[in-house]
Amino acid sequence: MSDLHLTIDGQAVTVPSGTTVFDAARLQGIAIPTLCHQQNETPAGVCRLCVVEAGGRVLSASCVRPAEEGMTVATNSDKVRNVRRTLLELLMADHPSPCARQNQSGDCELETLARQEGLSGSRFAKRLSPRGQDDSSLAIAVDHEACILCDRCVRGCGEIRNNFVLGRRGKGFNAGIAFDLNKPMGNSACVSCGECVVSCPTGALTNKFVVQTELGGEPAEVEDLLKLPYFQKVSGTFLELNRNAVVKRHFRAGEIICREGEYGSTAFYLLEGTAQVYLSTPIAHVHTEGGAHGFFQRLGSRLLGRKQDRREGEVNRRTIPIDAPVDLPYDNPVAELGPGDLFGEMTCMSLYPRSATVRAATACTMYEMLRNVLDIMQRNKNIKGRLDENYRRRALEDHLKNVPLFASLTPEFIDSLRDRVELVRFGKGDVICRQGDLADSFYLIRIGFVKVSEDHPQGELVLNYLGRGGYFGEIGLLGMGAGGGGRRTATCSALDHVEVVRIGAEDFQRMVDSFPEIRGSLEQVAAKHLEQNRQRLKQSTDVPLDRFLAQGLMEAQSLLVLDLEKCTRCDACVRACADAHDGVTRLIREGLRFDNYLVATSCRQCRDPLCMVGCPVGSIRRRQSLEVIIEDWCIGCGLCAKNCPYGNITLHPFEVTIDNLDAPGKRAVVTKQKATSCDLCTEHAEPSCVYACPHDAAHRVDPNQFFRDVISG
Amino acid sequence: MVGTSLVFLAAAIVYAVYALPTPGGPRGGTVIGLAFGIAGYALMLFEGLLGARKKVPVWRLGRAQTWMRGHLWLGLLTLPLILFHAGFAFRGALTTVLMALLAIVVVSGIVGAVLQHYLPRAITTRVPMETIYEEIPHVRAQLREEAEQLVGTLAVEAEHDDKVRFHETYAQSIRPFLESPETAPSPLFPSLRRAIPVAFHQALEDLENICEEERQLNRQRRLYHWLHAWLLVHVPLSIALLVLGGIHAVMALRY
Repeated sequence: MSDLHLTIDGQAVTVPSGTTVFDAARLQGIAIPTLCHQQNETPAGVCRLCVVEAGGRVLSASCVRPAEEGMTVATNSDKVRNVRRTLLELLMADHPSPCARQNQSGDCELETLARQEGLSGSRFAKRLSPRGQDDSSLAIAVDHEACILCDRCVRGCGEIRNNFVLGRRGKGFNAGIAFDLNKPMGNSACVSCGECVVSCPTGALTNKFVVQTELGGEPAEVEDLLKLPYFQKVSGTFLELNRNAVVKRHFRAGEIICREGEYGSTAFYLLEGTAQVYLSTPIAHVHTEGGAHGFFQRLGSRLLGRKQDRREGEVNRRTIPIDAPVDLPYDNPVAELGPGDLFGEMTCMSLYPRSATVRAATACTMYEMLRNVLDIMQRNKNIKGRLDENYRRRALEDHLKNVPLFASLTPEFIDSLRDRVELVRFGKGDVICRQGDLADSFYLIRIGFVKVSEDHPQGELVLNYLGRGGYFGEIGLLGMGAGGGGRRTATCSALDHVEVVRIGAEDFQRMVDSFPEIRGSLEQVAAKHLEQNRQRLKQSTDVPLDRFLAQGLMEAQSLLVLDLEKCTRCDACVRACADAHDGVTRLIREGLRFDNYLVATSCRQCRDPLCMVGCPVGSIRRRQSLEVIIEDWCIGCGLCAKNCPYGNITLHPFEVTIDNLDAPGKRAVVTKQKATSCDLCTEHAEPSCVYACPHDAAHRVDPNQFFRDVISG
Repeated sequence: MVGTSLVFLAAAIVYAVYALPTPGGPRGGTVIGLAFGIAGYALMLFEGLLGARKKVPVWRLGRAQTWMRGHLWLGLLTLPLILFHAGFAFRGALTTVLMALLAIVVVSGIVGAVLQHYLPRAITTRVPMETIYEEIPHVRAQLREEAEQLVGTLAVEAEHDDKVRFHETYAQSIRPFLESPETAPSPLFPSLRRAIPVAFHQALEDLENICEEERQLNRQRRLYHWLHAWLLVHVPLSIALLVLGGIHAVMALRY
């Protein structure tokens, strides 16, 4: 390779052929200001701040202009300085000064250059339409307002990290950086490696800090974390900036790590030792019955298990799903966690209550982490691969077998599936499959909640909410939908952070062909669901939809209605309900109005049963008759009560004797809660609320019949 | 109603037969007078049991509606029976007080029944945004906060003077009403709309809705007071009547 000889600012310079003017000047110790160029990235020449006079008709961007033999370059002439100053003014006109980076560390490159040029403002008008911010990522803040379109982040993401998530969108005035196909950063394939933040010269991409959070452990050393397989390839810069977001904690044998029902925001990674995970709440439901018979009967409530009081529609469950890599056996809800296990993901990602109590069985060391760290771990390809492998190896078989329909799968068949299933993650709001699309997979939910809905001209009809252990996609694959043809009959979308096991159409077909009993059961259940959906739609078209649907009354089995023209608002119904249920009312005299009737707040088995979303142990479900039932393994966390928009679920406290969590080996009387909803006072011929109304205003009615009569006058 | 009328008729005939030939007029101490007194007082005791019945709503002692009907119709009978017992004469201080109390209790009961018959309908039609009575202060506080937030964060492109005028209008005409709807005049939105530029009309419409809800809650509060305030007279005087009636019975029978 031959050498070139050129002159830069009057100095003779010799450089190898192929060197750019920018590099030639740098080698000579002459600094040319630039924003878009970094030594470790391919030059792009988009900011034009590095322009120099190189003898041509126009100024050249030195970062992309190759040096030539005999070239004379001026990097700091009046003309160059004027152009550079104008460019800075133009860039500063759109720049929110001080930007986030300037505020964080005072080193926004654009603002530094502007200050060096003595610019305090810009002659040019600011852009009128804002470009906005993107706060969807847990680790990185995006401020499009501060972006100067230098593409350093795009090249960092693609050339340095080979992630190719960042790119450009729009043209001209509307140009900007984009993640994937212009998705919010948090929903994109971004793995939060932090390269874009390091590359960005301004405050357009900055790290989010978690400085206020005190987890109460010993801050984890970044070097130690990076040695762990799960943290390899996580951005060290990110971990450094978020030192408090992951801490190392030591637990003595017997010490409680987290308690069921408590709200938390962290996940745990078990480094050393073993832990016991179990439910301390009794496996039982609230049963209300008469304490003494006869005239002066008084109702009382007590806890009864499935063996003493089997309720209609109860199935023989073998396991209880929890927020850990294992499920708990129904009859003895205790399991063990070992080194390498990650638990509390749902609590951490979606802020659900803890689903189980975890106690250190031996001395344990754990990493406790906040959501942004877990999010980064889950996005990291390396970690994702390990988690997938872990799941395939340890949990897939349990997961499949815990679904009663798949209980008959043979170990050989599950082994054959092991390397073929895919663990797929979805963010809140993501559509997993859309009504009308070709059915290509069957899904089994591992984490999170999925909404199943149908689109109708009247609007969206929510068919169900599915939680851990739920499955969907079989109707399309079995060709049972309207018109057959293997199309999706409903849209399934993620309500929160969702992880599903995707079984491809080919494997699904192999499964139903090899196990005809599974095909039979699946077809039976699918046919039942289709029939229920048809009924639901029929009900919704039998009466004027606008009012009926809008008030969520369509699916109700039994409504408590108050005739407002007779009701004196004396609350005798509420007091009677409370009296009938140990002082805990399941009824509130408030709700939606329909004509001159008030549909009182009492469980109505909604078409969109939001109460089912988020239950950390999946203990609330519909019966086949559509009534909401709270299963025996409810841990009393109260999330369903909080989620019910009508306040129709209440928590009933009970004193029970259980193992003392703080003193192993001893028993203690503690107050535990169980969620309850209206039981229609089934012990009596008439619900107490109706019986106690002195003004003939309270009635329990079949909503379809009742409102049809009301509407027809 | 039929039963009450028949009992009343029968009692009136017995009274007429017994009172007319009695020299000096009928008295409570006679056998018939005493019988009227006992029947009247027994009915009063039954009336009082409604309150006790409400305390144990789950006991299967008959539907609350049946008890209420009995309370209303048998309560009406009490007054004529006691008048027959007294022979329409108030002889002593205690009996005069008792008779006055009975009259007030019966009349307040009738007033209450009438109010409870008509006012629920009035609340239903005139307060579509009705809420639970105990929650009214909370809802009102929320409405005030909503209005303040609406005005405080209003992003409308308009002249500075117009913005100032809008804020002044809110401070002078709307905020006082939201703070004390009982005393402050209700804002006249049609005229406010004429005085304020079109750019602010959407915000004004939102404020109008807030004021309308405030107005309805105020109306609900007023109607609710009417619906239940009579009980403040009816219940304590009923208790006083029962106690004094008992004292009267003991004294009359003993002395």
